[in-house]
Amino acid sequence: MMRLADRSLDINKMIVIAVAFVLAATIPFYVPDAFVYLIGLTFLFIILAVSWDVMVGYTGQVNLGHTVFVGIGAYTAALLQVPSRFQGSSLEFLTSMPQPPIFISIIAGGVAAAIIGLGIGIITLRLKGYYFALVTAVLPLVFMQTTFVWSGIFGGEEGFSIGLERVLAETVVGRFYAAFIIMVISLAIMLYVVNSSLGLKFKAIREDQEAAEAAGIDTVKYKLVAFIISSFFGGIAGAAMIHYRITVSPDVYGIPLMLLIILATVIGGLGTIYGSIIGGFLIYLAKYWWLREIIDKVMQAVHLPINDEVILYIILIIIGVAMPGGVYQEIKKRIKR
Amino acid sequence: MLELVLRIIVYGTVVSGIWALVASGFTLIFGVGRMLNFAHGSLFVLSAYFGIVLTKELGVNPYLSFIIAVLLVGVVGVGIYKVTISPIRHHEVMVIIVTLAIALLVEQILLLIFGDYGTSFPSLVKGIVRIGELPVPTKRIVSLIVAIITLILLEIFINKTKTGKSIMASAQDMEAATLMGINVEKVFMLTMFVSSVLAGVGGLLYSQIFSIKPEVAVKALIYAFAIVILGGLGSVRGSIVASFIVGYILITVTSLFGARWSEFTMLLTIIAILIVRPRGLFGVEE
Repeated sequence: MMRLADRSLDINKMIVIAVAFVLAATIPFYVPDAFVYLIGLTFLFIILAVSWDVMVGYTGQVNLGHTVFVGIGAYTAALLQVPSRFQGSSLEFLTSMPQPPIFISIIAGGVAAAIIGLGIGIITLRLKGYYFALVTAVLPLVFMQTTFVWSGIFGGEEGFSIGLERVLAETVVGRFYAAFIIMVISLAIMLYVVNSSLGLKFKAIREDQEAAEAAGIDTVKYKLVAFIISSFFGGIAGAAMIHYRITVSPDVYGIPLMLLIILATVIGGLGTIYGSIIGGFLIYLAKYWWLREIIDKVMQAVHLPINDEVILYIILIIIGVAMPGGVYQEIKKRIKR
Repeated sequence: MLELVLRIIVYGTVVSGIWALVASGFTLIFGVGRMLNFAHGSLFVLSAYFGIVLTKELGVNPYLSFIIAVLLVGVVGVGIYKVTISPIRHHEVMVIIVTLAIALLVEQILLLIFGDYGTSFPSLVKGIVRIGELPVPTKRIVSLIVAIITLILLEIFINKTKTGKSIMASAQDMEAATLMGINVEKVFMLTMFVSSVLAGVGGLLYSQIFSIKPEVAVKALIYAFAIVILGGLGSVRGSIVASFIVGYILITVTSLFGARWSEFTMLLTIIAILIVRPRGLFGVEE
């Protein structure tokens, strides 16, 4: 019986996914170019939200430093493309590196992020409790500081440009499709992982770490696996973003981006993947499309200390307190009553 | 060289006293309610701004402002607990996320009101004391004394008063405390008040010596993290000892290499502790 119900659900799900896929793939045909550019970036942001969800929503370990992996991916890719930035530093020998193809530099961004993730994970994830959250909360500030301390390489506050010839694709529409493909592949892999037996183990850890251990699950190992996958795709998205925007700057490490990721996932519901996709789409577009303009207009009239960030934080607090399971779950629950 | 050492010891002791207040507040609410309050740094900064507005805008006497600001922050802390943390207390992930959002919200609002400038609470006392060759502003000494008095009061409150004992009882075993007729919800609110007051006193003492900016909230929070990890999550005494260790490390590094290395130092300290002694000096059971 269960199986049958599952399958009919699967068919419905498949239809929704297919429709969403077609709608997304045809966006450039009915949306003006300026927004096509923004939607492409949104796709890359969705990778961030989903990859964060793989760790936080599935294993229940709160990673507050996901932007570290975005930043590492971004700067890795950027420095691979512009090795001349190493000139005058102790890493001068790197200046003669050949420029890799864009595809390689994006993968390298993911790998670099995954390696850092492994290092952080080994130290913090073997400990039970809150150490992981505390340490990951500190990381973005430290990494952001690196861009100022070694500003010769990382370009300080301004960052640097990787040059127009290193863009994902020449036209806006071309870049949109490149981002779309990167997103589809990333999401497919992450969905596959969380729906496999690996995902089940992640969830077991989230529900009850001790019970999971008693059942013979090596919790440290699987938390680490989840974290590596999560940081890998964080790095991929970061690197892809750089090839999309052509510039890299410390904002990729920033707390505002972290909050946007959290907000997207929390709205969609932690541990749901699909929720993060929808949440990511809505939140990123809201933030960069219309929210600021509206708030600015309203605030010109009433003069309150409020901007778009304030509104987003308030939304996050309200949703977190009133619907800790996510908006969608809450609506479903209310309807069933 | 000798002057540098003396400087590190004297100045380090003063800052450590302030961080001890902040960290013991942070660890107290964790120890009692297993709640990580990421908005703790915001309470630190808020009290400084309350004090600054009271004295500079409303012309209230600095000593009176100090007390009003601290009490106000205590109330804000209880408000934050009642409205946002209490309903989702059992949802640990959400407590972290929501309090982090509150911290960022407070920072944004302060930025919009006061801008990204440093400002200070007026000095409670003027003048300079000489310790050996080293001139030390009296306000630093006063800060240290106030910090120590506050910590002693905390110690007495926790160990000697009935309310304090009920807080400690809840920290040790919440269920047993409930069965003994202790109203745990009330205990949490009280703990949050004490915790916020500690952050508030710390914030005012800090802004009396250094300039304060909205972004200092994050810094205060990170220092508190490092300290409580070293001291052991949930241990008030551990966090007091640890704040002096962390304080001396920090001031040594910053006076030798510059302030921009402070974040690195904190991270490396945290990582070193986690590798060598993850439960900290006086860690409590999870």
